[in-house]
Amino acid sequence: MKCPRCDSENVRVMTKAPVEEAWEIYVCDKCCYSWRSTEKIRIHEKFKLDDEKIGAMQVIPPVPPLNEK
Amino acid sequence: MGKICTSLRDFLEVLEQEGQLVRIKEEVDPEPDIGAAGRAAANSQEKPAVFFEKVRGYTNPVVTNVHGSWKNHALMLGMDKNASVKEQFLELNRRWDKYPVEPRIVAREDAPCKENTITENINVFDLLALYRINEQDGGFFFSKASVITGDPESPDDLNKLNVGTYRIQVKDKDRLGIQALAFHDIAIQLEKAERENKPLPIAIALGNAPLVTFMASTPIAYDQSEYAFAGALQNGEPVEIVKADTCDHLYVPASSEVILEGYILPRVRTVEGPFGEFPGSYSGCRKQCEIQITRITHRTNPIFENLYLGIPWTEIDYLMALNTSVPLYKQLKESMPEVVAVNAMYTHGIGVIISTKCRYGGYGKGVAFRLLSTPHGMPYSKVVIVVDEYVDPFNLEQVMWAITTRVRPDKDVTVIPNCPGMPLDPSSYPAGMHSKLIIDATTPVAPEPNPREVELLEPPEDTEKWEEIIRQHLEQLK
Ligand SMILES: [Zn+2]
Repeated sequence: MKCPRCDSENVRVMTKAPVEEAWEIYVCDKCCYSWRSTEKIRIHEKFKLDDEKIGAMQVIPPVPPLNEK
Repeated sequence: MGKICTSLRDFLEVLEQEGQLVRIKEEVDPEPDIGAAGRAAANSQEKPAVFFEKVRGYTNPVVTNVHGSWKNHALMLGMDKNASVKEQFLELNRRWDKYPVEPRIVAREDAPCKENTITENINVFDLLALYRINEQDGGFFFSKASVITGDPESPDDLNKLNVGTYRIQVKDKDRLGIQALAFHDIAIQLEKAERENKPLPIAIALGNAPLVTFMASTPIAYDQSEYAFAGALQNGEPVEIVKADTCDHLYVPASSEVILEGYILPRVRTVEGPFGEFPGSYSGCRKQCEIQITRITHRTNPIFENLYLGIPWTEIDYLMALNTSVPLYKQLKESMPEVVAVNAMYTHGIGVIISTKCRYGGYGKGVAFRLLSTPHGMPYSKVVIVVDEYVDPFNLEQVMWAITTRVRPDKDVTVIPNCPGMPLDPSSYPAGMHSKLIIDATTPVAPEPNPREVELLEPPEDTEKWEEIIRQHLEQLK
């Protein structure tokens, strides 16, 4: 199985339905996308991710410098 | 005055009695049903809360659109459900002055939110019927969570306890992503912790008393207490709080459905989003903070309360309407007593209408500058319209009348470039910068010349009498 957003194969089952085995939820460990087995996933082109986009993402809030000991 | 509810369950009961809650007994799918119902409720005439008794694969119920109409908003305040927006604004103003009503600390065994405790195999999906709110969201989100953090440098100061609403993405069974923008209170506390490379303890309260959730999304000063404000808005009834189990200086609302406890991992940022946001569009992916959940306490059979966000107006707009207007009004009023009312209901105060009496020429513009230098107005407010004291800023027809008959564009419309902006406003570029627009629709007063002074039309004598006669006739037609 591949991540529908970044095509990574680094995906796993996050959890299963508490009752009735109704569905499973998957998560991509590369881009943090998660989805349910019962969903029809259609990711807009502009929301697809790759290494370049992930590398260039804004960091919020910025990580401050460590205090001097 | 009707009943003011101090728990979500009490409030749902009132909404149901007043015909403002729809109960869905048939099983529904998490997607797209719950998000779709939130949008549909906002589209409807009555805009009721929608309660789902059974969601496929889950055990506990979900409710959405709890705050999503002026009727529900009035009932939250214990007012008649038909109270006008201006009446609700004035009532909130009155109660605001009761601040502070200090919260009451209760024992653990007296707190419904501690009925059950989970410390092992934590899985939020076991408890909460999470669902994707909008199709392009990057995962499952809490859109209506009240987040509680403290100031690591003054852990004993209850006033520095921050209770705020932040969007939260579920990253794993026991991991969450949280958006803490640089100008949010939580970012101040986080920075102090991260400089020391220490985790920041955090508690997340879901399914709260309606006025606690309302206050969590209200912009107030860093050293003011949301709990003491919620007590004031509960018309003097203190909020009951209880110590968090994992941190001695965090207190959580005792009546909440679910409390998640844990900490923000220091100096960690991972991909978060996109998420359909309050400006009616998606905000894209950024690297944001993560929370490790270490403990959950909850009521038995907890109700998961969440909200839908879409093109305005949807439920979220009611949670940033009058609670954005009142604090801005109070801040202006302090130094400019001529200000009569502030309507900051448009997209969390990006659009604001102020009605004021003008003491001297140029006063209207001065009031706008004052708004643009308040803590909330500085980054958020972008379009500021100032009208005379007799114009109701909540009545958009009157506001348009003031603009069309009072404004001379060459001198009354001003654009100020290169100011702070709200990053989630898609027209802010670079995100966080913006220009400001002031439209001064007040009548000129000296020393500004007013060469064509007018005499305003007054309602004919007996208008009020006839309003009553017409109202009675309409009543008979029903
Ligand atoms: Zn991925």
